[in-house]
Amino acid sequence: MDMPIPAGRAIVVQPRPGFKSLLPVLAVAAVAILPALPFVNPYVQAVVVRALIFIALGQAWNIVAGIGGLLSLGHGVFLGLGCYVTGILFNEIGLPPWFGVWAGVLVALLVALVMGSMTLRMRGVFFALATVAVSLACDQLARHFVDLTGGDSGLALRFLGDSLWAAQSRSPTPFVYAGLGFVVAYYGITRIILTSRFGLEMRAVRDDETAAAASGVRVFRTKLLGFLVSAAMTALAGGLYMQFYQAIDPESAFGLGQAIQLQLPALIGGLGTAAGPIVGGALMIVLSEVTNWGSTKLNLVGVDVLVYGLVLLMVVLWAPKGLVGMLSRRRVRR
Amino acid sequence: MNDLGIALVPVGQALLSGVLVGGVYGLLSIGFSLAFGVMRIVNFAHGDLVMYGMYVGVVAATSFGIDPLFALPISFLLMALLGAAQYLFVFKRFVGSATLQQLLAAIGLGLVLQMLAQVVFGADTRSAPSMFSARYILIGPLFISAAQVVAFVVAVIATLVVEALLIGTRWGKAVRAVADDIEAAEIVGLSAQTINITAFALACGLAGVAGTIMVTYYPTDPSKGLSLMPIAIIATTIGGLGSIRGSFLGGIFCGVVQQLTAMLWSSALQDIPLYVLLLFFIAYRPTGLFGLRTE
Repeated sequence: MDMPIPAGRAIVVQPRPGFKSLLPVLAVAAVAILPALPFVNPYVQAVVVRALIFIALGQAWNIVAGIGGLLSLGHGVFLGLGCYVTGILFNEIGLPPWFGVWAGVLVALLVALVMGSMTLRMRGVFFALATVAVSLACDQLARHFVDLTGGDSGLALRFLGDSLWAAQSRSPTPFVYAGLGFVVAYYGITRIILTSRFGLEMRAVRDDETAAAASGVRVFRTKLLGFLVSAAMTALAGGLYMQFYQAIDPESAFGLGQAIQLQLPALIGGLGTAAGPIVGGALMIVLSEVTNWGSTKLNLVGVDVLVYGLVLLMVVLWAPKGLVGMLSRRRVRR
Repeated sequence: MNDLGIALVPVGQALLSGVLVGGVYGLLSIGFSLAFGVMRIVNFAHGDLVMYGMYVGVVAATSFGIDPLFALPISFLLMALLGAAQYLFVFKRFVGSATLQQLLAAIGLGLVLQMLAQVVFGADTRSAPSMFSARYILIGPLFISAAQVVAFVVAVIATLVVEALLIGTRWGKAVRAVADDIEAAEIVGLSAQTINITAFALACGLAGVAGTIMVTYYPTDPSKGLSLMPIAIIATTIGGLGSIRGSFLGGIFCGVVQQLTAMLWSSALQDIPLYVLLLFFIAYRPTGLFGLRTE
């Protein structure tokens, strides 16, 4: 499968000491003091949380698609499972999301294991088609079993007000820190994978399956493991998604629009890079705020989806390496 | 009629409707399959061309007062032109391998087409009755819609024409040569670019025909294109990616499974067995029933 980023890019481009290495620390600090600033109202905080959630989801998708080169078009399945399982366990038996989310992760791992072991031995296109089919199947199932999932209108969490036990809050501030924690942790995981032997094997499989197999990489096992890691990370971030939005419905879990929102951060920022989903996710949320504002002004429905489609098309056609890819290429030349 | 006969009536009805609906599924799948078989392009926007074909029928019926059946050639031509434009602007650079970028480009294109349809035609459900709509044929205890019979006949004829074109003509030979080995085809003097454009335009024109014939019994809205894609994907995988007759039979198979599931279980879950079958075919028989190549 030919992907645009040659193997080892993330290792080749070593950040120069100085400002560049301070950048992540400064970014974390900037987000961390944000809620304390006087001009930052809850709306702005909520936008920041949205950005952090989609960055985390983008980081998870980036593992399978960017580093592994696997064409997962249905990562909404794992987001949805994380949300639904967490929410159902809380509403039905009162299990707090701190524990419930791990059940969601387990279910996601199970689904990913079945999907992966059935499709990952085949050419990439079959895996892609299977991920589409599984999302649509989940969509139909979620709409059908109304008693459990709330059907078309979705599942709303029982709201208890500010409660640490239920991981609920009226103010978005706790979610800024939770989201920041996710992004930092997922950034760390991505860096570890990129520099580890496992990450090297994943990229070898992505760039040339036959050559990787000839060099002793166990291709199927590597692909499956990458898929499982990414699915678990997505479901875990789904728990945060559920606690912040307090609700989930089939369209925002398994719909195509959501699938694209999970892909755009890594695509805009740079597939297979650790910083890519962070840059791309922030940009995507800014873009979606602007289009939301514009479409309310113009009183048009569906503008956001049109813009996402256009951005997807433009990025793939004209900037396949994403922003980070474009910048680091320039640095390599110099 | 005895008890067994009465019990079997719904099964016969489901089988009959399934075959008729499935014929049109087959028609919309062969275009999808052709683009993959010849150019290795997985066109997720294929369903949106079917949806535009449906709106061609709607516009013909409501704005011009023409029977959608007479709009079939126009629909074919319009969608073929739109397909050629898609090929030149988007898919040309991806010919030869279905990469992540290619799939994403097709999804982006599909979303743009869907939203443009929503801007132009609105989000409402529209239909376009033909002279055969609302007429039913009774065969013993079973009844079928005349519009579906006509659609099935059109689908069969279109599929046979495409097969004949690919097998019996010089152009078809050239298409198969380019599909097999693009470099070897160019060495012997074929222009791969011209052949790919015509093949892609044909695939998209077929989507238009499928849409226009379908709208005579199945109302449309801008999201219909996307909702038809799973059928095309499953019919093509079960029939064999790249095989024309395989995709057509795969479409009929999908129609029958849907109708039987709707009868025995629930019409809201009519696609679930298809998704499960898709996974099993991918795992154990990725070439499908009639697959041409393995890689």
